[in-house]
Amino acid sequence: MTFLAAIPSELIHIVIGMVAIMAFVGIHVLVLVYAERKGAGHIQRRPGPFEVGPHGILQPLADAGKLIGKQLFTPTNADPILFWMAPVLAVFPVLLLFVPMPFGPVVTVQEVNLGLLLILAFAGIGVLSTMLAGWASNNKFGLLGAARTVSQSVAYEIPLLLAVLCIAFQKGSLNLSTIVEGQGSWPWQWNIVTQPLAFLIFLVCAFAETNRAPFDLPEAESELTAGFHTEYSGMGFGMFFMAEYANMVVVSGVCTALFLGGWKGPGIDGVWWFMIKVYALLALFIWVRWTYPRVRFDQLLNINWKWLIPLATLNLLGTVFLMKVF
Amino acid sequence: MEILAKIAFALHALIILGGALVAVSSKSLVRALVGLVVTFFGVAGMYLLLATPFLAFMQILIYVGAVCVLVFFSVMLTRADGEGEEARPVTIRHRFNALLAGLVPAVGLALVLIRHPGAARDLPVEVGLPALGTGLLEQYSLSFELISLILLVAMSGAVVLTWERKEKQ
Repeated sequence: MTFLAAIPSELIHIVIGMVAIMAFVGIHVLVLVYAERKGAGHIQRRPGPFEVGPHGILQPLADAGKLIGKQLFTPTNADPILFWMAPVLAVFPVLLLFVPMPFGPVVTVQEVNLGLLLILAFAGIGVLSTMLAGWASNNKFGLLGAARTVSQSVAYEIPLLLAVLCIAFQKGSLNLSTIVEGQGSWPWQWNIVTQPLAFLIFLVCAFAETNRAPFDLPEAESELTAGFHTEYSGMGFGMFFMAEYANMVVVSGVCTALFLGGWKGPGIDGVWWFMIKVYALLALFIWVRWTYPRVRFDQLLNINWKWLIPLATLNLLGTVFLMKVF
Repeated sequence: MEILAKIAFALHALIILGGALVAVSSKSLVRALVGLVVTFFGVAGMYLLLATPFLAFMQILIYVGAVCVLVFFSVMLTRADGEGEEARPVTIRHRFNALLAGLVPAVGLALVLIRHPGAARDLPVEVGLPALGTGLLEQYSLSFELISLILLVAMSGAVVLTWERKEKQ
């Protein structure tokens, strides 16, 4: 027991937290795969997965079994180290993004004063992995997907940061828990009321940064086969798939904490409010994906450079001005 | 705690050196870029070790998330492979020059450090973000603005370079 006592409690705390995060992400990927396929089915007036288990509820498990069982191929003339590094780089940084996430009043893996900055910094590694995947595949579709990823995510990161900065200025903190505590329990006390434009800009950029339709140009299957992950088989593809859903959960969580009052809500505050809001945003993601057609690439960049960036800049200047005056 | 700090320092130094070695020695430009990314992460780790998380996250946000992505973009657009015109065989003279260029600053720094060994320091204390902001904009505002001047010069230099190339065509 003396040996155990020598381990610093912070270390135990972090290890338990990371294990919990992995379990959380794993379960949510399974749930989201099912929700996405069912949502797609019902929006297109068909039942969706129905065969495996009651109402196809075991379908994600069957999918996972299929992906794990498949053989892993490395294309000829591909760079094998970079090729297999990309899916690993896609998944692991995402797990880190859950560390400062304020799930509830006490349910946070680690209080980080610069939590928002940590999430923004490590989210950039996802772009790197997508680029590496596209380039290392030695495939023109992959390369095109990678080129699109770069121009898309570099462009959309700017209004995203500007929108987040508005909230950070208003609340005077980069700690997500502090930002949540600065909001009230009732919907009209949330940041979305004072910063509706920042919320809209954040939401649009969130779609672009997670490569979700209507902004899923890097993997546009009608023109690029599967874009950056064309050459990946089995779990190589599975890891990109996992990373996409985990990123969606992160973005919804950050959006909830910044704009929708986090774990605060009418009645009793707690983890449930956070999860309800996150699920509502995830449902919105799925709903939008199966409702809107994909935009063209020039449209995508025009929306950003001609609308989102000027609007976000004006919004930030307005916020700063009003804060100085009042 | 001190021994742990030393181990962490050694680990980060190894990461930085390993990344740098990959960056200078690999023929594929993208692999070299990945080496550079590893080095940036090592430097970010060093910042964390110095209790400056803001600098560490900024290092990752700017260097890994923006600079490396843009470098990658230009590599991808130029299709620079390992057999380009600059991939000539390396002679002994080259190696000697490279060794010299690397050793001179290393030996110089080492001599200074050996002659004036730093006193044992306490564990660094984290400086809050507000203090950092006021410091940058009040006490050190001149040097802060000068840095942005350098960036402005670099940016206009890049514009001028591409301008001339366009006229020649």
